[in-house]
Amino acid sequence: MSTDLVLPGQPVPVPRGPTAQLGAGTYSRDGQVRASLLGTPRYQGSTLAITKIRPHPPAPNSIVLGTVTRLSPLQAVVSITVVDDVPLPAGEEFMGVIRVQDVRATEKDKVKIADCFRGGDVVKGIVISLGDARSYYVTTARNDLGVIFATSEAGSTMEPVSWQEMRCPKTGHIEKRKCAKPEGL
Amino acid sequence: MAQSNFDRRRINGPEESFPPVFTDEGVDEKAWKPGKPRSGRNPDEIRPIFLSPGFIDQANGSAYIETEKVKMACAVYGPRQSKSTSYSEKGRLNVEVKFAPFSCRKRRAPMRDAEDRSVALQIQQALVPAVRLELFPKSTIDVFITIIENDGIESCIASGAIAASAALAHAGIEMIGLVVSCSAAVHGDEVWLDPTEEEAQASAGTLIYAGMPALNTTTNLWQTGGMSTDRLMKCMQVCQERCAEIHTVVAHELLENAKRD
Repeated sequence: MSTDLVLPGQPVPVPRGPTAQLGAGTYSRDGQVRASLLGTPRYQGSTLAITKIRPHPPAPNSIVLGTVTRLSPLQAVVSITVVDDVPLPAGEEFMGVIRVQDVRATEKDKVKIADCFRGGDVVKGIVISLGDARSYYVTTARNDLGVIFATSEAGSTMEPVSWQEMRCPKTGHIEKRKCAKPEGL
Repeated sequence: MAQSNFDRRRINGPEESFPPVFTDEGVDEKAWKPGKPRSGRNPDEIRPIFLSPGFIDQANGSAYIETEKVKMACAVYGPRQSKSTSYSEKGRLNVEVKFAPFSCRKRRAPMRDAEDRSVALQIQQALVPAVRLELFPKSTIDVFITIIENDGIESCIASGAIAASAALAHAGIEMIGLVVSCSAAVHGDEVWLDPTEEEAQASAGTLIYAGMPALNTTTNLWQTGGMSTDRLMKCMQVCQERCAEIHTVVAHELLENAKRD
């Protein structure tokens, strides 16, 4: 429906009756609902929004994927490459930090970062806050969050055997990871 | 034999070169001279605008603008993570302007100087009120403008702001309205819109107006030279009227581009 395209600043017709909630791409100024994106306004439930699938910076509660780049006893640094299922352009990654207390929900004081992540692992997490100047705080404290892809020391892709262990199919060695529960299990 | 001032970062020209010889150099009889009435167009007429959004593939958003002798390309990248800045609740809009070496009468060295920065600052000032930076915490939006052909700083700023706002809209960055801009020069009793470099230099004063016609707001105003208050108001009024027309051009091109995708 290209005829319904609106431009930034253009008033969006809102039907009378219960006022719609304003979602992404819309704003209200002097009581007039206007568009802030080029696109077609649509209702999603009671929310009026102009959706545009494009890379955006992480926000609290975004589901992010990233690779572990640095480990320390206190935190694991991840380079966020996918935000809410939208991959970021190459070279525009965001820095995320998984602090030791955010790795898992229980027995937080027994967590050792080295037994949960290794460099190069792909981790699925949720952004808990915008963090500090440099990085976003990411948590993996949920069953479906954690390492989703890892290679063993022998170099092959490991498969999870429990929520704390992964096995190398080549050598049979077991390495420790905070694994994410595979989807649909 | 290492040459000390050899520039390795750029493609260097031949070692020996000669300026081209034009047979009709400097004998353009029809050219406008200071003190004469405006030639070629009416005082309140602007040069035709050609705008084409989305011509740089690798950028998130881009636009090319051409108004006779002003040609510039604008690319928008981001929002990306701010580097080496402290935590900020709002995003940053970073505008960089580069003059191509061949953009001016005299060759411009590929280095940043004061003029780039003042042009960039004016464009940034024009755009900042429009961009919803509160939606991009900790992030930076980069706007890069390359001036391919230059016809006075006034038209560079005006066209640059139009191109940048078109590129931002094309990039899908949330804005409260499209920014358009128009310049004016005072010649005697007349106000000449969209002056060329010669016209601006010969004028008593110039004004660059930027605003959002959709919201009926002004975002930036830059005045140079001498101008009485009522003349200033007149300039602003005619610029504002012309901006509404420029807005329809920008809107048309953006809609055409959106329909094609």
